[in-house]
Amino acid sequence: MIAHAIVFYIFSLIAIVSAIMVTVSKNTVNSVFFLILDFISISCLFIMIGAEFLGMIMLIVYVGAVAVLFLFVVMMLNVAQQKNEWFNSSGRSSHIPVGLLVSIIIFFELIIVVGGWKYKPDLLDSIAIEINTDLTNTQSLGSVIYTDYIHLFQLSGMVLLVAMIGAIVLTFRQRSGVKRQSYFKQISRDRKDGIELVDVENNKGVKIDA
Amino acid sequence: MENLQLIIPELFISIMIMFLLIFGVFKKNSSQLVYNLTTVSLVAALALIINLEAQIQSSLFNNSYNIDSLARFMKILLILSGIFVMLSSSKYIQISKISKIEYPILILCSILGMMVMISSNDLIVFYMGLELQSLALYVLASFNRDNLLSTESGLKYFVLSALSSGLLLYGCSLIYGFSETTNFNQIMVNTKEIEYGLTFGIVFILVGLAFKISAVPFHMWAPDVYQGSPTSVTVFFALLPKIAALTVFIRFLYIPFYELGDQWQMIIIFLSIASMVFGAVAAIGQKNLKRLIAYSSISHMGYALAGLSTGTTQGVQSSITYITIYLVMNLAFFSCLFMLKRNDEYYENIDDLSGLSKNHPLLSLSLLVVLFSLAGIPPLAGFFAKFYIFVAVINEKMYFLAIVGLLATVIAAFYYLRIIKIIYFDPEKEKFESKHNLGLKFTLVASTFFILAYFIYPSGIVDIISQININ
Repeated sequence: MIAHAIVFYIFSLIAIVSAIMVTVSKNTVNSVFFLILDFISISCLFIMIGAEFLGMIMLIVYVGAVAVLFLFVVMMLNVAQQKNEWFNSSGRSSHIPVGLLVSIIIFFELIIVVGGWKYKPDLLDSIAIEINTDLTNTQSLGSVIYTDYIHLFQLSGMVLLVAMIGAIVLTFRQRSGVKRQSYFKQISRDRKDGIELVDVENNKGVKIDA
Repeated sequence: MENLQLIIPELFISIMIMFLLIFGVFKKNSSQLVYNLTTVSLVAALALIINLEAQIQSSLFNNSYNIDSLARFMKILLILSGIFVMLSSSKYIQISKISKIEYPILILCSILGMMVMISSNDLIVFYMGLELQSLALYVLASFNRDNLLSTESGLKYFVLSALSSGLLLYGCSLIYGFSETTNFNQIMVNTKEIEYGLTFGIVFILVGLAFKISAVPFHMWAPDVYQGSPTSVTVFFALLPKIAALTVFIRFLYIPFYELGDQWQMIIIFLSIASMVFGAVAAIGQKNLKRLIAYSSISHMGYALAGLSTGTTQGVQSSITYITIYLVMNLAFFSCLFMLKRNDEYYENIDDLSGLSKNHPLLSLSLLVVLFSLAGIPPLAGFFAKFYIFVAVINEKMYFLAIVGLLATVIAAFYYLRIIKIIYFDPEKEKFESKHNLGLKFTLVASTFFILAYFIYPSGIVDIISQININ
């Protein structure tokens, strides 16, 4: 059990430190690397509590797709050279004190909220739902998503469709005067249309008119 | 699943979205056809909703999706305003060169999201509906992407709306943490005592909802978005999301947290007073009609919230009546706005209305009726709307709210009357075009007639609304 605790604390420490590093790191590319590290340690935490499916999905979706996409965007936009000036600008920006004040207030509010939760004695007993150990995580997730929450699952499909339509509407431009390849035309071309055989007489050459 | 027939309207709209998308992609230059088909499918959806048995009260998907009288009425209202918005703005989108197949499809997606919101009886379902409708609205706001104002409004709406969605989700998670469920009815059962976390959750969710109906102090996006987005989208913004958000307001306050009324009542009263006063005062200095109507709608939402703050069935019914009449008035106003066209250009400043009465007596007359009604002058529909609200508020002995509301009406009357003065007494300008398409004319005539004739038979709508029971 003590090994479990040690591993847990190591992963949580890495997760928190790398989350902080994402925001304070001066180089944007480094930020993205820390983000990936953060995701990986969180997925390790998931696996430790026995939610192996969530952990793997976390790896595949967040690390494999989202973070790599971020990395591409950061590199392509060439913002790597731009320094993260949030913590360097001396007194010029008025956002930081205000932001800090707001976050401190929210922090104390959260302490009140979590305190109320923590010291409500009967809460932990009442949410102890019986866990069916015969089913794997994937099976039980699947049975919930595709039966109890099927309408939400379908709705998320609609949300993704709207996102796709939106991305196309806002970025797709029909440019005029672009020469396009027409495969059908290319394939259906006959040999006769493209090649003309001419007898070239000696010392005379041929006259080619297009 | 024999009660799957209850969500046939939603299923129909989703199928139409996918069908029209494929149809529009494979048929070249079909944007106008897709637009008309969308209108037709909205009419069909309306028929399907009306066809559902009245007074049916049932819920689907583990009680997370409610089909009751409230949902039915609000959906009919929603689809009807959708149809009229489509009818009135068809010419506008052609002329302003935003006639693409995606435009009506995004409108359908947004309406689908709103229908889900209206029927939601669960925090997750509500959130999914909200995201679906606002995601489509972000794109619609910046649909005229070559226009700087339009892109600005889309981006502004996106950033602020994402922030408010974040707060809302945080509130949902707090409520889930303290009540152990996301279902509205179940939340009511599980929360008998007041806890800090629950109050925080309610506040966060109310912030998110207040953002959606642009109540002060979460209104900052409204004037810019209303002005920047294409007018056809502005009508949509001014009408439909308000219906959905108000329904969620009603459900959220009156089903799970009815017992905790003293926790949220002060918040709603504050939102209401702030919106009424701010909307009235800030509209005075506006020069753009779309900005003006944005502030006017902020003020109107204040009155609708005043009805909700009473905590009585009468108050809720007065709010529903208010939003119904508000929709008709705004529809009439925007139809007038669509008629201010000269040489394929639309005019939207107050100065452009100068001396309108000399060239266009009929248009000015209907604008006069609409503005008087918005100001709440009897015997027009707008007066009755405010009247019901004040009766409900005074019955609960909330005199302060009623007095502030009345004062705000007086302030608001100033800027409505100023427009009328400009129309009737200022020097005339060049003529506007007087040929308009049939849908626009029909919308204007129908809505103006409703406003004018409402006082003859006011109980017609009141009777329908009084049959709506919330619990």
